[in-house]
Formats: sequence, C-alpha cells, structure tokens
Amino acid sequence: MGGFPILSAMTFLPLAGALIIMIVRAATAGSREASSSDTEGRTALLAGLIISGATFIASLAAFASFDASQPGYQLVEQYSWYRNISYKMGIDGLSISLILLTTFLIPICLLASWNSIHKRVTEYVVAFLVLETFIIGVFTALDLVLFYIFFEAGLIPMFLIIGIWGGKDKIYAAFKFFLYTLIGSLLMLVAVVYMYQTAGGSDFEILEKYSFDPNVQTWLWLAFMASFAVKLPMWPVHTWLPDAHVQAPTAGSVLLAGILLKMGGYGFLRFSLPMFPDASQLFQPFMFALAVIAIVYTSLVAWRQTDMKKLIAYSSVAHMGFVTLGVFAFNEAGVQGAIFQMLSHGLISGALFLIVGVVYDRMHTREIAAYGGLVHRMPVYATFFMLFTMANVGLPGTSGFIGEILTMVGGFQASTWAAAGAALGVIFSAVYMLTLYRRTVFGQITNPELNSIKDMNMIEWICIAPLAFLTILFGVAPNLIFNITEGSALRILNLMAGG
Amino acid sequence: MLPDILILYIVLAPGLVALTGLLHKQIGDKLVMSLTTAVVLSAGALSLIQLFAYVAGLGGHAGAEEHHASLVAATTGVDLKQHIITLMPWISVGEFQANWAIRVDTLSIVMMAVITGVSGLVHLYSWGYMSEDPHKARFFSYLSLFTFMMLMLVTADNFIQLFFGWEGVGLASYLLIGFWYQNKAPNDASIKAFVTNRVGDFGLALGIMAVFFVFRSVEFGPVLDAVRNNVAVVPVGFAEASPVRDLVIPFLHWNLNALEVIGVLLFIGAMGKSAQFFLHVWLPDAMEGPTPVSALIHAATMVTAGVYLVCLLSPIYEYTFYAAGMITIVGAVTALYAATVGMAQNDIKRVIAYSTCSQLGYMFFVAGVGAYEAAMFHLFTHAFFKALLFLGAGSVIHGMHHEQDMRRMGGLAKFMPLTYAAMMIGTIAIIGLGIPHTQIGFAGFFSKDAILESTFASGQADVMFGQVAFWFGLIAAFLTSFYSWRLIYMTFHGPKTWEAHDHHDDHAHEDAHAADDAHGHAHDHTPHESPLVMLVPLALLSLGAIFAGVYFYDAFVDGNNETFWAGAIYRAAENHVLHDRHNVPEWVLYAPLVVTIAGFLIATFTYYFNRGVGKRVADSGGPLHSLFYNKWYFDEIYQATFVKGSAMLGNLFWKADKKIIDGIGPDGVVAVTKASAGRLSKMHTGYLYHYAFVIIGAALVFGGILWLRAGGAN
Repeated sequence: MGGFPILSAMTFLPLAGALIIMIVRAATAGSREASSSDTEGRTALLAGLIISGATFIASLAAFASFDASQPGYQLVEQYSWYRNISYKMGIDGLSISLILLTTFLIPICLLASWNSIHKRVTEYVVAFLVLETFIIGVFTALDLVLFYIFFEAGLIPMFLIIGIWGGKDKIYAAFKFFLYTLIGSLLMLVAVVYMYQTAGGSDFEILEKYSFDPNVQTWLWLAFMASFAVKLPMWPVHTWLPDAHVQAPTAGSVLLAGILLKMGGYGFLRFSLPMFPDASQLFQPFMFALAVIAIVYTSLVAWRQTDMKKLIAYSSVAHMGFVTLGVFAFNEAGVQGAIFQMLSHGLISGALFLIVGVVYDRMHTREIAAYGGLVHRMPVYATFFMLFTMANVGLPGTSGFIGEILTMVGGFQASTWAAAGAALGVIFSAVYMLTLYRRTVFGQITNPELNSIKDMNMIEWICIAPLAFLTILFGVAPNLIFNITEGSALRILNLMAGG
Repeated sequence: MLPDILILYIVLAPGLVALTGLLHKQIGDKLVMSLTTAVVLSAGALSLIQLFAYVAGLGGHAGAEEHHASLVAATTGVDLKQHIITLMPWISVGEFQANWAIRVDTLSIVMMAVITGVSGLVHLYSWGYMSEDPHKARFFSYLSLFTFMMLMLVTADNFIQLFFGWEGVGLASYLLIGFWYQNKAPNDASIKAFVTNRVGDFGLALGIMAVFFVFRSVEFGPVLDAVRNNVAVVPVGFAEASPVRDLVIPFLHWNLNALEVIGVLLFIGAMGKSAQFFLHVWLPDAMEGPTPVSALIHAATMVTAGVYLVCLLSPIYEYTFYAAGMITIVGAVTALYAATVGMAQNDIKRVIAYSTCSQLGYMFFVAGVGAYEAAMFHLFTHAFFKALLFLGAGSVIHGMHHEQDMRRMGGLAKFMPLTYAAMMIGTIAIIGLGIPHTQIGFAGFFSKDAILESTFASGQADVMFGQVAFWFGLIAAFLTSFYSWRLIYMTFHGPKTWEAHDHHDDHAHEDAHAADDAHGHAHDHTPHESPLVMLVPLALLSLGAIFAGVYFYDAFVDGNNETFWAGAIYRAAENHVLHDRHNVPEWVLYAPLVVTIAGFLIATFTYYFNRGVGKRVADSGGPLHSLFYNKWYFDEIYQATFVKGSAMLGNLFWKADKKIIDGIGPDGVVAVTKASAGRLSKMHTGYLYHYAFVIIGAALVFGGILWLRAGGAN
C-alpha cells in the first residue's frame, strides 16, 4: 500500500469532472440566458473531452506502473470499509486491458457526439462521465460488494442515455434494457450476499481461495450467469440489445457494444471460472450450446435485418458468442482468445456504429434501403467501411481474426461440435456484412438525397481513424495484447484447476 | 536462392506499393500505375532468375537408367532444402505459435515465379486494357495487393500465415470481381465468390484447429516432420502418445484417423479456393471482373492455391487413404464436369473459366494418386497458357468494344492477327499437342501426359480411384480439345456476325462502362488489334506456353526431380507412381493424342466446315445440351436449398426473437407492470435532475464513507 492511489484517482476522475461541470453550470445558471444553450453544450463537450482525455492519460499511467510478468493483482489499494467489506482496488492483465479500452473509447464517444447531440448536452456529458467511473470501477474493484455497486450503478446512466437521447421508441428500449439487466442483477445480489456470509468476506482473493461446495456452486454459478448472460448478451436473453442499439444515440451504441457487453465476459472470467470451477465444468456443454446458437442464430437474423444498427447489434451477439466459446474452453488459447475477442470487438463494433452514425447524421435514417451507391460520393467513408466490414468478418490481418481463430482453436480442444458450429458462423458473417456493404455502399445512387451527401469530416476522421489503426495493429501484432493478458489468463486457469 | 534482401523485396514490395492506391488523389493515377507495375515486374524478373538459376544449378540430364533408379529410391532420404526468414512473431499463445515468416523452398520458388511473372505481365497488359477506366489507381493497387497476399500464402511457414494469404487473396478477388461496383452482376458475383470460399474456409479453419489439436503446433516444420517420421504425438487432453499415422481422434460424432480428418478438412478449403465440384459455382461468375483479373487470379494463380496446399501437405496425404481418394475423385469429376459445361457456353470468358476449372481437376486427381510433382508441373505450365488464353480473350473483348458473346464474333483472325496467333498457341498448348517419345510438344503436352500416365500407373498399382480418374481425364481431354477449337472457330473464323449487331447489347456490362460506352460510340465498330502494351505480355506468355513444358520437364517430373524438389514434396517409400508411369502400356501414351485429334476433328466439322451444326444442337434444346448449358443446374439448386433455406431460417429466428422470446420475456412483463412503465415514461419530460441527484448523492455518500474509513485506517 502507500503511494499515490492511482486506480482510485483514475476511477473517480470522470465523476469529479462531472461534478465540476454540474457546479459550474449551476453557478452560471443566472447568466445562461445570455449565452445560447448551444455554446453551453459545446463547452460541456469540450470539458468532457478534456476530463476523459485526462482519464485516458491516467489509465496509461496506471498501465505504465503495471508489471505484465506478475500474474496477480497489482497497484492494490485497500481501505477497510464495513466489517469484512473493504474498498479494495487493483488490476491484472485482464482488467487493465479492458480499462484501457474504456478510457480510449469514451473520448471518442464524446467527440462523435459533437455534431449529433443538440439537446441537454451538459447532462449528456455528465451521464457519460458518470458512466465512465462506474465502468472503470467494475474493472478495478477487488471486492465483490464494491464490484456489485459499480456493476449495478452503471445501469442508470446507460438507461438515461438511451431513454433521453434515444430515438422514437427510446422508452420501450430503455425499459427493456433495464428490465433484463435488473432481473439478472437481483439474482446475482442474492448470490453475493450468500458468498459474503459463507466465505467470511467479499475480497476476491478470499473468494478465489475459498472452495464452495459443488452443489452450492451450481446455484451461485447460475445466479451470476443470469446477470452476465444478459450483459454479454447470450441467446436467448439478447433481445434487449438490438432495441437498445437502435434507439441509443451513436455514442451510446459505441459504449454499449464497445464496453458494457464486455462486463459479461469479464464476469465469467473473474467469478464463474475461478470461484465456481466445478459448476463451470458442469455447465460447459450448456454454455457451448448457447454460444453456438448465439453465433449461428443471430448471424442468420442479422442477415434479414433492414435496419443498419439492428444488423450490427445482432452481429455483436454473434461475436460475443465466440467469447463464451473461448471462456468455457478452459484452456489458454480459448481464454486468451476470448479476452482478445472482447477487446477487438470493442474496437470493431464501436467503429461500425460510428460508421452508421456518419450517414445517420446526414440522412436521419438507418434503413439500408435508403442507401446505395455511397462509394460514388463518399470514397473515404467507403474505404473505412470496407476495412471494418472485413474486420467484422474476421479477415486475417485484422484483430477480428485473432479472437475468432483462437477461441475456435480453444473450443475445438474441448468440443469439436462447438468449434464446427462456431465456424459456421464465420460463413454467415460474410453473408450479412457483405450484403450490408453492397446495399449501402455499392451500386448506383437511387435515392436522390444522396446526390449531395458529403464524405467524412474532420471530426469523424479523428474518431474512426484511430480505431482503424488499432484494428490493423492488433491484427498484425496481437502479442501486444497477449503479453499483457497472458499472466491473468493463466492465473484464472490455475485457480480453476485448484492451483 | 536469392539473397534475403531480394526475397524480402519480392514478397513485401508489392504489398507496400499497393498502399499507394490510397493516395491516388494526392499523387495521381499514373504514379500509382507506374510504381505498382515497376515493382511487380521487377519482382517477376527476380523470381524468374531465381527459378532458372536454380534449375540450371541442378546439372545436366541424368541418364535413363540412373534416373529410374533415383525415382525408385525412397524420398524419405532427401534432406529438405529450405530457408526460412523470420520477420516477427505474430501470435504467441502458449503452444500456439505463429510467425510472420518467408519460407523459401522449391515449392515457393516455383510459385513465386508463377505469381510475380504472370502478375507483372498482367499489370503491364492492364495499361492498355483498363486505359479508359476512371478507376485505374484502384485497379492497380488491388492487383498489387493480390500479388502480395498470394506471395504471403505461398511463403508461409505456418498454417496461420497461409490462412492470412488465403483469405487475403479472397479479399483481393472479391474486390476485383466487384471492381465495376455500380452494377448488379459484379456485386452478386463478388459476394458469391467470397461466401463460397468461406464455405471452403470453414473446412480449412477446422482443419487447422485439428492440426493444432493433434500436433500442438501450427508450423509446417514440426507438423510435417512428425508425419514424415511417424512421430508419437500426444493430442491435447490425451493421456498417452501414439504414432501419428495411426492416431485416432474424436471428431464430431465419430472416432477417426487423425490424418484422414485433417486431410479431408483441409481439402475442403482447397475445393473452395480452387473451384472444385460442389464449390465451383463462384468461378464462372467471377468472370464479371475485368479480364486481366481473370487471367491472373482466376486462372494462373489464386485458384491454384488449393493444388499448392495439397502438394505442400504431401506428407499428410501420403498417409491417408480416404482423403487422398476424395481428392482424386473430386478432381476427376471436376475435370469432366467442367469440360462438359465448357462445351455449351457462349461467353468467351466463361468457356475459359470452365476450362480452368477442368484443368484444376486434373491437377487435383493426379495429386490424389500421389504424383504431386505432376500436379505442380501442370500448375506451372497451365499458368502460362491459361493466362495467355485469358489475356487473348481480353484482347478480343477489347477489340470488340466489350463484346463477350462468341455468337456475335467470328472472322476476327483478319482483324487481330497477333491476338489470333497468341490464342492459337494457347489452344495448342492447352489441348496438349505433342509427339510421344520425343521432346516435341507444347507445354500442356508434357504436363498433361505426365498426369494421365501417372494416373494410369496408379490405377495399375491399385491406388484408390486411379482407374476412374484416368478415364475421366481422358474423356475430359477429348472435350478440352473440342471446346478449345470451338472457341477458336466461333471467334476467329467463319462469317462476321458482329456487323449486324449493336455491340452494346443486353450484356450485364452495358452500363458498367460509362467511359467505355463513350469510347465505343466515338469510334466505329470495326474490331481492332490491341496496342503493343497488351501484345507484349501475350508474346511473352506464348513463349512460356510453348517452351515451359520441354524446358522444365526433366526438373519437375523426370530425371532431376528429386534434386529439384529437394524434399519440398514428399512421397512415401512405397509410392513409385512417377517411376511406374514410364512402364505404362504404349496405348496410354497415344490415347491422349488420339482423343485430342478427335476433338479437333469434330470441332472442325461442326464449327468450321459446317457452322450450322453447333447452332442447331444448341437451338434444338436437347436435354443433354440444356444440362450442360445450364451448368447442371447447380446455381438453381443451391439457390433453392442453401440460400432460400438460410433466408427462411433467418426470418424464422427473427420472428422467434420478437414473438416468443420478447413475448414471454420483457413484453409480457411490461404488460403486467404497465403502471410502472407509464411512470417511467415521464422521465424524458424533465426528471433528469432527480436521477442525476440520486446518482451524485449516492456517490457523495459513498465517497464520504470512503474518506472516513481511509482516515480511520491511518
């Protein structure tokens, strides 16, 4: 202990920033009549960018102090809180990589909102910053109660982002999102309380060492699974996702697909495998079945969509299926592949939602049929779109490939059926992505409104180009990630094996 | 072998120049075209120098006695001559290790020469062919990208980089087939190609997973060594080791021989890429791409990747019975099937496309019976004459202002004599004309006869399906001769049928070429010979189509074959097929010549002397002609089953999402708790502050506790 509590600082920096924005706003409320609300919005966005940028730098600083050769939790901060519950934070390779993804994507989200959000901008920025704190908290918490607070609290700002800045069915979507996640959460809460009482503490390291009775494990596993399966999401509790995405503003979708879904995969890796190893083994075939259904079923559904965002949302469910497959393969290739797939999907799906956002901002429709022939007016856009299309179908050389092949390699060792089923999804992903691309970008311009559509502007460039760069970088040199995550992946597998 | 730096140049430089296409707005089309062409041509020159130097270094002819002896000797004794340049690690996850690397051995030397040689000429040719296209920079950068990916494929030292190249050429192929993206047909064709290849890749990917499962490695070196030496391996999760050739692994519902599983799965990948029966449907449609693309990707190089893969993995296929048998039978069926369809097509490019498909079948069935060298030899010679035929056809299409229907050609020999000469050379090469027992013959003579003889010999030695393959191949040789001459006669001979038509017919390309239309209307419609920049590649390829066979015969499949391949291709000790082919009955040597002449005579009778016969057969719509003309109805069957079926399933699942899952889940709950939902909906009318207050309040309380506790701890 001792030293600067960098993790806490990083975690609460966005929340502090949000508070400052609120205070400044309240203080200037009197003079607000004079300045237009738009100016206020730009200022808030700018402040949000600075704060989230600082958070990104803070996370890089945390990463710089992180020693990838050590498998355990690092930079631990612990303060006794209430009885055996403590405020305990720390990171390992798994969490720092997801934290970096988070702090990297949030500034992009805010920047992407520059031209597309015009109402209640200050509140919007506040919601994002508050959400950022909760997400980072989820990944840094080393105490189950603390984790649970962050995990559940994150629900609220996301609920608001969809419910306030969403499209015309936002209430339905927000409510559906809320309902699904809440039910999962309640079941998890029961498990959390039980675990705390049985193991005599809620510290991860205590829980990891404690051997729960196999019968109890089954119930605990199911309770946690209920929550994580909704977040990931797994079939059949995935139906909130397409609605949430369609209604959410672009940045909300980026955040949702890019990070919030990863909490599910993180949960499986952090809790289900190391703490309930017997139950995880027991449910392996069940999880494989759900993973393969997710991959094949939602890929086929994605193909039939007429709404661009819905298509990509369904594609997200399919890609998260690979995460389930890899996690429950219980081997290094599978687990490393699953972690990589989460990061890679964060970049690729985030970029794809931004790509949809670019044309949505111009045309205000997500209907695929309203487009066609964009390449004639937007060649740069077409190039980026092609890159992410290929990344999404898992073309080698992009990060999408690495996660898919490794989770399948891992899955094959556990079940050839699962691997074969997942490999089928690789065919279908090509079908729906190429069809989408062809209908929107290729062909002749038939919609006259497209004749004057403009190519990507500077802000859109700044948002999308870094994602493109990383998608290729991690596709060509994935060891940059594996070097970080290897220790924690092996540690999780060791804990699972009882070591 | 060339110094490392030059090898690196050959493989990587095309990839780098491909990127210049992204900057074409800044640096101009001309610079992109010049850079890509210069780089690929120079890479081609270097690769050819490497190949010639390598062959020259082998020494002279081995005597007849001596070479028979060397062919009998077990190849296991030959040390693998291989040089690997490791660039950097790619994926390192536990035992799963794959590097970015360049593997130089005889196989990759041959492939490098074919790829960069043909690609360089195609780049050059495209200066003429694509001169009126508004997107030249994009075209050239795709061509170079393809070249790079193909080189990565053939120089990989592990399955993962091979897969990178494999899918990379698929991407380039997709982009180039759909190059004229304004139009429906190219878009359909490009997606069909990509998706069909993905079906093959499904097998390839599973095969790679099985390889890793069995060998705990994805690198060619350890994997193939283990098979060569029958090393005992311990698959993941297995308690004890067993020799790899006898290893049984669980796969899906069955327990199967590991090498058979791996062999079949990887071959499914090869079937997709090389357009073999069942997965061939994309190749004819790929002709929607510009013709130089067809020559490079869909004839000379990419489609041969499957053959390359099988030869590279010869150690595995040497010890499989069913997988090798599957290769033989699929290859033989493809050779025959594609030839029957080729006879009935009227689009000049489609005839050549089916011809490619058929020739690939030859390569596969001979590899299946164990004469991998003969497969590689045909791959090599075929690259020259098939690229020649395609570029020749491109020259015709260019001269005819984008007419592709042979029924609207005829009598062109007068108007484009040089193209005609090139096409004649290509045709004589593909039908394999030559005199048995001599060194006189065109390229195809040497490679095709090596194939048929080896296959016959394998049949005698009771190799699975060897007999069948021989007869299929022989019949296909007859059909090859027929459709090749039919093409020549319909295009270059007989009465001109093109004056009667407006050349901007109802073909799918009609509005593809806004610029070309202008070109067509600005000039008169008389066919014209192509410019020099297109004729030079034809001339150079003609040289290859004539001499590649006789020059390389000895090295590839005859006396010097062991020293030449230097272990890059492996044959089991009991596989003597290349030796046995010298002992086949005399009639086997003459049979190809006889059927070839028969095909020529029938074509000459029906399409030269009596042109009406062919038309009457076509018009009569007999069942056989309909079957061939409609490609055995594969497209219709696949459309009705796989495509419709998947769409139906997709719709069904989508309904299930909305009706069943949502109906029972959230919507059901919503209906029950309508009241609370109603209250929630007030949110957007201004209750935000309440929520924000709650969040911030909670955070403050939380922070407060934290503060106190932290203070208490000190």
